[in-house]
Amino acid sequence: MNLLYDNRTLLLAGLGTTLQIAVVTLIASIVIGVTLGVIIGMTEGHWVRRPIRGAVELLRAVPLIVNVYFVFFVAPQLGIALSPYMAAVVSLSLWGGANATEIVRGGLQAVPRHQRRSARALGLQEWEVFLLILLPQAMRSVLPALAGLMTLLIQSTATASLVGVPEFLQISRLIVERTTVMDGIDPSFGVYGFVLLIYFVLCSPLTALSRALERRLARQAGRPVAEDAAQQAAALPALS
Amino acid sequence: MTEAPAISARGLRRVFGNGVVALDDVDFDLHRGEVVSIVGPSGSGKSTLIASLNGLETPDAGEITIAGERIPLGRERVWRRVRQEVGMVFQDYALFPHLSVLQNMTLAPVRRGRMRRAEADGLAMDLLARVGLAAKAHARPIELSGGQQQRVAIVRALAMRPKVLLFDEPTSALDPETIRDVLEVMQSVARDGMTMAVVTHELGFAREIADRLVFMADGRVIEEGRPAALLDNPRTQRLADFLRHLLHR
Repeated sequence: MNLLYDNRTLLLAGLGTTLQIAVVTLIASIVIGVTLGVIIGMTEGHWVRRPIRGAVELLRAVPLIVNVYFVFFVAPQLGIALSPYMAAVVSLSLWGGANATEIVRGGLQAVPRHQRRSARALGLQEWEVFLLILLPQAMRSVLPALAGLMTLLIQSTATASLVGVPEFLQISRLIVERTTVMDGIDPSFGVYGFVLLIYFVLCSPLTALSRALERRLARQAGRPVAEDAAQQAAALPALS
Repeated sequence: MTEAPAISARGLRRVFGNGVVALDDVDFDLHRGEVVSIVGPSGSGKSTLIASLNGLETPDAGEITIAGERIPLGRERVWRRVRQEVGMVFQDYALFPHLSVLQNMTLAPVRRGRMRRAEADGLAMDLLARVGLAAKAHARPIELSGGQQQRVAIVRALAMRPKVLLFDEPTSALDPETIRDVLEVMQSVARDGMTMAVVTHELGFAREIADRLVFMADGRVIEEGRPAALLDNPRTQRLADFLRHLLHR
């Protein structure tokens, strides 16, 4: 495909932006998810949980694209002017963070109650129980789901094109439109075929990793925790 | 009054959120070097009683003294110190699955500063050898059978060098074949002079090892005394019924 080769600089730049958004939002999502998941996990029956759970539910319930539009178009009215890139990163991070929170919370909840009890019976302090006993067990069951979330985040970066971020999909669309207008030929098949292939190449290893982690977990544990994590991964909302 | 009991509880009362009275004015003493078996039907409050003795359950009312020191109910910071001296073994072993057997045993003693790592490792290996599991020191709990895990749970509690050990139905989750291994370990711990309170359905253990038997029902202590005397000649109909029920199970 000459067309792809001629536009390689543009496409690479777009791909770079896509990957950059994916990595930044992934890191932000994990930071948000671990922080909020831990807060929810540690504050049983406390009022702090309510606003956090409310926000998580809201973000998970709303189509991602609505979330992106909301941040991009509403934030300026509140006096926060965000570039398209920042709006995409913020809304994707909030969405990913909400999902990661749910994953971490689920992982902590899947640790049997007797673990905390027996750790306390040994005279461990509350933070030691949490950090040394509960969190490591939760993180193990959470890893496959987080790998799954990574796949979803890469896919979701495509929504950034809707607010005009020059990421991979947006660049590709521009190339298609420009060629159609300028040269009178429609290169959709070749260009979008290429786009499809690239997303597949990016995401399928992550999906495979998620499955491998799940299998390893099931082998090691042989207890219900493994199933919970697998269900967690499966229960992530589909993208709109 | 000579020496203060290792643990003394007076007037313990505990009502669960659902209105069930788990403990109804219970008095309980555990003297140093004594082995007490606590039996009773399920829901009798026996597990709640021993969990109250190391603060994992908080009674609504009553008084608990440990080695003569009164421990305020619900004061977590003080109970955390108590738990270093009053170990506990659970029905479901509750080993930490992400740590090796050895790490399970040394984590708490080292973190609480009761001993240095090398000393803790040495003690743990000695204890494991004593229960025939030295070869499993670096195995994960999942690689062990239920009986092996429970033996590790017992020596994990011993690795803290506690003064008292509480057992909450330590053999109830085990296969009949492995129960004996665990009972033997408990017996040898008792012979070494450990102060023990054991909630159990194993009347054989109660009869042969325990110095005293406490029978609970409906959150109260119904009868207590020398195990053989109680088991052979129950004074109350409740205990007679309970024993008959247990034998015909």
